[in-house]
Amino acid sequence: MLGFLIGEALRDLRRAGRVAISAILLITLSLAALGGFWLVSSNIGQATDHWRNRVRIIVFLKREAGTPESTALVQRVTAIPGVSAVRYVGKAEALGTLKEVLGKDASVADQLPINPLPASLEVTPTAEGATPDGARVLIERLAALPEAEEVGGGSQWIDRLAQARRLLNAIGFGVGAVLALAAILTVTTATTLVLHARRQETEIMRLVGASELMVRLPLLLQGMMQGLLGAMLAIWVLIGSYALVAPGLEPLVHQTLGVERLSFLRPYDVVGLMFAGSVLGGFGGWLARGRREP
Amino acid sequence: MIELHRVWRVFSVGPVKVPALSDVSFRIAKGEFVTLHGASGAGKTTLLRLLYRDDLPTEGEIDVLRYDVPRLRRREVAEMRRMIGVVFQDAKLLPGRTVYENVAFVLRVLGTPRREITPRVFDALRAVGMSSRAQAYPAQLSQGEAQRAALARAIARKPLLLLADEPTGSLDEAMAGEVLDVIKDIWAGGTTVLFATHQRAVAAALRQRTLALQAGRVVKDEG
Repeated sequence: MLGFLIGEALRDLRRAGRVAISAILLITLSLAALGGFWLVSSNIGQATDHWRNRVRIIVFLKREAGTPESTALVQRVTAIPGVSAVRYVGKAEALGTLKEVLGKDASVADQLPINPLPASLEVTPTAEGATPDGARVLIERLAALPEAEEVGGGSQWIDRLAQARRLLNAIGFGVGAVLALAAILTVTTATTLVLHARRQETEIMRLVGASELMVRLPLLLQGMMQGLLGAMLAIWVLIGSYALVAPGLEPLVHQTLGVERLSFLRPYDVVGLMFAGSVLGGFGGWLARGRREP
Repeated sequence: MIELHRVWRVFSVGPVKVPALSDVSFRIAKGEFVTLHGASGAGKTTLLRLLYRDDLPTEGEIDVLRYDVPRLRRREVAEMRRMIGVVFQDAKLLPGRTVYENVAFVLRVLGTPRREITPRVFDALRAVGMSSRAQAYPAQLSQGEAQRAALARAIARKPLLLLADEPTGSLDEAMAGEVLDVIKDIWAGGTTVLFATHQRAVAAALRQRTLALQAGRVVKDEG
């Protein structure tokens, strides 16, 4: 029975001809747009995750603490909600780090009469503490410490990156949805033409007592086939674009976002796109209406 | 098998009501061969369409194979139609399929197991004398052959009732004779037949009970 239904659906697909090709291309376009935005968005997501794990909040201290005093301070700050780890950085260590950063110009630091760098606490927030709201609350708590002179760092730029990602997702879904709607309407038009072309088959099927489901299943299947073909083409377009663009873009992305390699869609994203294509096509096929029985 | 009681079918053409069938009542028993005779426009096709629920009566009761036809749900319509074979004046063969595929199509649609399809198709084609034309396309058939192929398609499902709507209407005498012989053989096999024709000679040649329709009314029931 399934073989018969698939055979009928393929016959219908051939009958739909150019309109079916238009529908397939529109589905390709809509899913390629959706997949493209998804691809860029997932790479930005990867960058934000990468940087969110590296968020540090620096608490500059009023004065350098002695060993027992600094140990007690570290313990006290570690107990604050939203704090994952704390490291005490003394004035000498801060100067050493500065010299490392200056590299061959490190001798400049040696000219200083006194070490001007303050001691500090390097605070690693928890996942909740690294969110925009979590970081704001944590910074307020750290600034309230009597030992704290100033609190710096945070995750503002990462939040801006995350915001850009959300905006990109919204645009992607918007463009994808408009194109998907056009694709559904085209599949419906193609299926209406198929309905017209196969009216004799439909008439015979109804006449001999085929169920309404049996009459409509080939239409649903040919719609799904259009969707699946469109999705497969979209995936090839995405693979081609990725192969072409990624190698040239990776050095720039590495420098700006710190992400070494741009990643392609995950296997279940690809399966998701194919599923979405089939659903789009099937829905378009199901929407087409022929003559109704009295 | 078939029972109609005070059936009316009135079409509305704008404000004008045109009765296609007026107060039609009759009964056909199981195993009968009944000719429905009437001129073009007498209401033969309308009547047959009501029997296989391709249309609904404006008024009246229709009972076919113990189904209360006007009140059937969609699923029951399909169920009833599986027991009825219908042939038309234009054979309505699917042009892109061979005679074999045309007959096999209805068996596939109804979910007949694959291994049963070929023997049943050839049984039906043998019954109408068309087994040697199984691979021919409709365009390659004479009108008489096309009509016999349509009959094969109708009987492949072994229907209890055969409704024939002018199957000899466009055939010459010799071809019409061949088709009538096939239909009589089907009837002899136990299938109830309701045969609609506008040809007086055909109705007379059948020498069976005849219902005469005139302007939508049964004006004679004899034989």
